[in-house]
Amino acid sequence: MSAQHQQYKFSEIIADPRIRERWEKVRRYFFLRESTYDMSNRCNIRCEGCYYFAGEKQFAIENSDENSWRRLFQSEKERGITFAVLAGAEPSLVPHLCKICYQTIPLGAIASNGLKPISREIDYRIHISVWGNDRTSETIRKAPNMLARQIANYKDDPRAVFVYTFTPENIDEARQVTKLLTDNGRQITFNMFSAPVGYQGHLRHTSETLKKTREVMSELLRDYPQTVLFSTYNIVAHTEKSALHELFSCSYPRMNSSMDVGLGRTFRQYRTDLQWDREAACCVPDTDCDDCRHYAAGSALVTARMYRHAIDPVTFSAWLDYVDTYLAVWVRGYDKGVNLCNTFITPPPKN
Amino acid sequence: MSNHTNQTIARISEIIIDELKLEDVTPETFDADLDLVDEVGVDSMDLATVALVLRDEYGIRIDEDDYPKLTTVRIIAEYIIDKQNSNE
Ligand code: SF4
Repeated sequence: MSAQHQQYKFSEIIADPRIRERWEKVRRYFFLRESTYDMSNRCNIRCEGCYYFAGEKQFAIENSDENSWRRLFQSEKERGITFAVLAGAEPSLVPHLCKICYQTIPLGAIASNGLKPISREIDYRIHISVWGNDRTSETIRKAPNMLARQIANYKDDPRAVFVYTFTPENIDEARQVTKLLTDNGRQITFNMFSAPVGYQGHLRHTSETLKKTREVMSELLRDYPQTVLFSTYNIVAHTEKSALHELFSCSYPRMNSSMDVGLGRTFRQYRTDLQWDREAACCVPDTDCDDCRHYAAGSALVTARMYRHAIDPVTFSAWLDYVDTYLAVWVRGYDKGVNLCNTFITPPPKN
Repeated sequence: MSNHTNQTIARISEIIIDELKLEDVTPETFDADLDLVDEVGVDSMDLATVALVLRDEYGIRIDEDDYPKLTTVRIIAEYIIDKQNSNE
């Protein structure tokens, strides 16, 4: 497939049977409407650059009353939330609250450091954060043997997907980690370190580290297609010099004043005291928007820009690959298809 | 209301019913003043899909920033007619 510059009708784009099939596959999931919940303000490790321990949310008082949480999730369901993202600090420290959420909202994902296994009865996707090999993890996360422990805890667990966060310092280590996960039959997807507001440390990406990350991601996607849940367009979207907001116009309430449709209308980010603040609400609050390349943010931002990408078959295929990847990473039971577009396309501008 | 507006309303209703697979309603009975989000249950991805089909049908681009303003079929029809007139 080669990029064409003529204006295509949407009906012409989806006339291609491969594109139509993928479009029909992903569109069945357009009912997903997410909100996120900080389940605990405690964590069993402390990582440099952790966005949870930035800003005000870390000081919210932890509410551990089961009935309060049950009422919250019930009211969330009633307001149309169909997908729960449980984050933290560390949700595995409050398994009883995660279970209440699962019983009310059956689709969701949990972001965990993977050191304390989450009971299989909570059938959400589990995103296990990896920040490099065990030596690097020990330096940045102050925890020994992280990867070995994470793999042991989630051996043969179909809920698990390992999320490798590329920092300027661990780019080459992604090869070793991906090989190890392949040998253990596990899956990996990629995240980018995105600086919290005010962060001045050495983990902030530069043009050189973005370029190098792009090369390593491409190599791993090519060499480990069964293990790596990603696409060429994911690589583009997350390693461009411009961050996600500049490329795709962030639609989370924090950056979007419209309360009429989409995320601006439905999305909330609850803190551990069960309160939320529209001014701060996004999936990665207290991240610097100018440096936001976070995988969770991209899942919503790129997906929301379907119209922009429906300009020719190649560009729309790239968008479909992104959405297919996002669904495979976030939704239990969704299987990723073969990527349709293997060329680097430039994200289409707004007009 | 002009014939053209009525025809545009009927065609947009048809597209929405078809794309969103709405049951128990026809283009003739579809209320053009229903709030699409609150009363019909259209979400942002539905709206983007409808916008693409309207782009095919009328050859006009719908600006992303205009989505929140497009709250009813009548407002969409007026938006399209305005765009068509300004393109002439
Ligand atoms: S941090 Fe990212 S997701 Fe959050 S508001 Fe800023 S750009 Fe949007």
